[in-house]
Amino acid sequence: MNYRTLTFENLGETIYEYDHKTGLKVFFVKKAGYNKKTAMFGTNYGSIDSVFKVQGNDKEIHVPDGIAHFLEHKLFEQEDGNMLDKFTRLGASPNAFTSFNQTVYYFSCTDLFEENFRMLLDYVQNPWLTDENVEKEKGIIGQEIRMYEDNADWRIFFNFLDCLYVNHPVKIDIAGTIDSISKINKELLYDCYNTFYTPSNMAVVTVGDFEPEAVFSIVDEMIKFKNNGKVEKKYPDEPKEINMEYKEQKLAVSMPLFNMGVKDTVSVSGFELLKRRIALGIALYHTMGRSSDLYSRLYEERLINDSFRFDVSVNKSYSYVAWGGQSPDPKKTADIISGAIKEMTDKGIGQEAFDRIKKSQEGMFIRSLNSVDNIAREIMDSYFNDTSYFDVGKAYSQIDIGYTNSVFKEVMDNQTALAVINPL
Amino acid sequence: MGLSAGKTTAEKLAVKNGITFYRINSDKFKTSRVDLFFVDDLSKERASGNAILPLMMKRGCESYPSVKELEGKLEELYGADIDGGVTKKGERQFIGFHMSHISDRYTKGERLFDQCSDLLMCMLEKPLIENGGFKGSLFRQERDNMVDYIRSRVNDKMRFSLSRCIEEMCVDEPYAIPEDGTEEDVLLLNPQNTLRIYEEMIKTYPAYAYISGEVDDKSIQRFIDGFMTADRGNVKKLKPTNVYKDINEVRKIDEKMDISQGKLCMGFRTNVEPASDEYYPLVVYNGILGGDAHSKLFRNVREKASLAYYAQSVLEKYKGLMIIMSGIEAENRGRAEEIILEQVEAMKKGDIEKEDIEATLKALETGMKTMQDSQWAIVDFFMSQHLTESGEDFDSMIERLKAVTLDDVVSVAQKVQLDTIYFLKPDGSRHKEGAI
Repeated sequence: MNYRTLTFENLGETIYEYDHKTGLKVFFVKKAGYNKKTAMFGTNYGSIDSVFKVQGNDKEIHVPDGIAHFLEHKLFEQEDGNMLDKFTRLGASPNAFTSFNQTVYYFSCTDLFEENFRMLLDYVQNPWLTDENVEKEKGIIGQEIRMYEDNADWRIFFNFLDCLYVNHPVKIDIAGTIDSISKINKELLYDCYNTFYTPSNMAVVTVGDFEPEAVFSIVDEMIKFKNNGKVEKKYPDEPKEINMEYKEQKLAVSMPLFNMGVKDTVSVSGFELLKRRIALGIALYHTMGRSSDLYSRLYEERLINDSFRFDVSVNKSYSYVAWGGQSPDPKKTADIISGAIKEMTDKGIGQEAFDRIKKSQEGMFIRSLNSVDNIAREIMDSYFNDTSYFDVGKAYSQIDIGYTNSVFKEVMDNQTALAVINPL
Repeated sequence: MGLSAGKTTAEKLAVKNGITFYRINSDKFKTSRVDLFFVDDLSKERASGNAILPLMMKRGCESYPSVKELEGKLEELYGADIDGGVTKKGERQFIGFHMSHISDRYTKGERLFDQCSDLLMCMLEKPLIENGGFKGSLFRQERDNMVDYIRSRVNDKMRFSLSRCIEEMCVDEPYAIPEDGTEEDVLLLNPQNTLRIYEEMIKTYPAYAYISGEVDDKSIQRFIDGFMTADRGNVKKLKPTNVYKDINEVRKIDEKMDISQGKLCMGFRTNVEPASDEYYPLVVYNGILGGDAHSKLFRNVREKASLAYYAQSVLEKYKGLMIIMSGIEAENRGRAEEIILEQVEAMKKGDIEKEDIEATLKALETGMKTMQDSQWAIVDFFMSQHLTESGEDFDSMIERLKAVTLDDVVSVAQKVQLDTIYFLKPDGSRHKEGAI
């Protein structure tokens, strides 16, 4: 059995990689001493993939919003019962999630890993859809959508993305709407399944205290998929300009919430993507992290509170930088932040601050390796961005001040958008 | 380094000055950690005062008198984390502080534990003080922040409905007090009376310290020797939490809000003490009824009736409460309640499949084992055992759960009584198609 072993001495981690003959990529990370064992089976297909060509047909089809997430719900249902039930009977804890660019099915367990792993690989390859079970799911997903309608953090995030993006489907709610899911049927679900659930578009990630051969031989035994060739994904062209500067909504909250940021339309992947993500993280932390002058000023003037957060999201087809939280005066806060960003992009980060923040961020990365679940998610996510999670350590060592300052300026010179949720 | 999947234990190192020090033995983590807990009775007079203390600590200390300096120092220490907050377990309030940093293996030779524990000590023992109180300007900001924080509880409808249900259910009991008190209690605080609460915490509250990760014996001894040298003569005796209540009439409370989805919370009294033998059957009971995807609530409310995305039950171990929660359309409320109560009734009648007990026991065992993969969860587990003076460890707890029989579960089911039904109801101003 041919697989690669990559050891990262500085992180105390080893990753095993296996290329299955169908094009399916398989990863294993050994976590000695851990009880939890996890396996994820994911496809690089998420809410943003709603326009595509079905295999063997040249016509582009548009499917209803929320269909990737709907399919995620439905795969759990099999002719002989619900998979959630079957995993829990073996003591495993099963789940799945749909994000913008991926749908991932997983379980974690402490015993009977091999039995659970076989079940995971089997059911994801075998959808069982009927008109009746598709209809039944609409009630459940409908309530999931309703729950998110009342979630102010979720609503403001999508309002913010709607401000940033003119065309890109990342602005559309992952679960869709009550109206869009009402148009979903068995045939459309199969079209999506047959297009995107193909080995070259998928990966398996396993983490825990066991041996790589066990994982790879079960993959050999269980994968029946045919390689349907490469999936062609097309996203609409996204202009550098934003969709709108400001969007407001009213909800039952105690104080206004704001979400602000910029879109980055430079497309990167692989190691460059990691470097860009890290550099933006360092510069943003320097600008508005808890040790910054800006943070102290806003906090002491009570324009922000402990809920203030910021985030860098760099992906192959969409990237943005965002920050926000509760504020009694979002517009005033936004103006002060914009001023501080301008000052920072003009001046750049200094050597002392750069070293200190880089050290702190590297520490955070080491810390993230405590969690089996986190390692599995990050490896999957990195693979779908053509990169490797454990290369983050190397990326830190290759980043310097000049690169950090130029990337930050390039991104932050874009127009900012502001979304606000006001109390009723 | 030893990396075997050995037994996770909490070894008592010392009792000094009324503080008990434990060492958690588990060396697979990449971080080292200290957790400190001070425990008080949950009371209206003191809840907010206790809750503001961690917020004041985070504003700085003698050696690092501003957030900028303090946070800058933490960044230099490879992104070390020092934080604090309050929780309630039964009618006791926990004021917790923790410090964690990456292990020395990853720091290119720098040793962090002594530096980080000194910083934690400085924040805890040398806060910023003036005129016999906390520094006024900082205090006022944090007091106002607390008011905002308390008001913002309404933002998360699921948690809000859960705490409203508990408040109504325990209306004349201390457990109704939120873990950080109420707005009116916060407004009674001033720099001076809060400093007095701080001094009482340091000198009189029962306290526990847990150290975990790769820390050498010398550093641990240094920590114990240097920690809280203030005289702690009289450690406060805490009151027990009452878990018994007989219900004559179920209370029904509806509240309206401008929301899309209704939140149903049904509060039950289990009448089971956390340290009693019946606690283990209760945990199994809760698992079968509403713990997981195999549970009666998930299968019947969600999968069969398609009424909800979530339908689950949760236990409050120390107060003996069980709350069933589900998010539903307002017009389905009657049906949802009916189906939920049918499941509770089925538990009483012993209408439970053998496979349901087996699946629940397996899930609980998996849960107990995976808890040992999180430093925080390990500390929380042992803290809970020390609180109830139970001598169980992870393995013995699994054994006690596995010994539970169907008869034990049915017998616990007889004690569970519905107390309050709380419904956070959409006021009808939002259209079906929702937002904007």
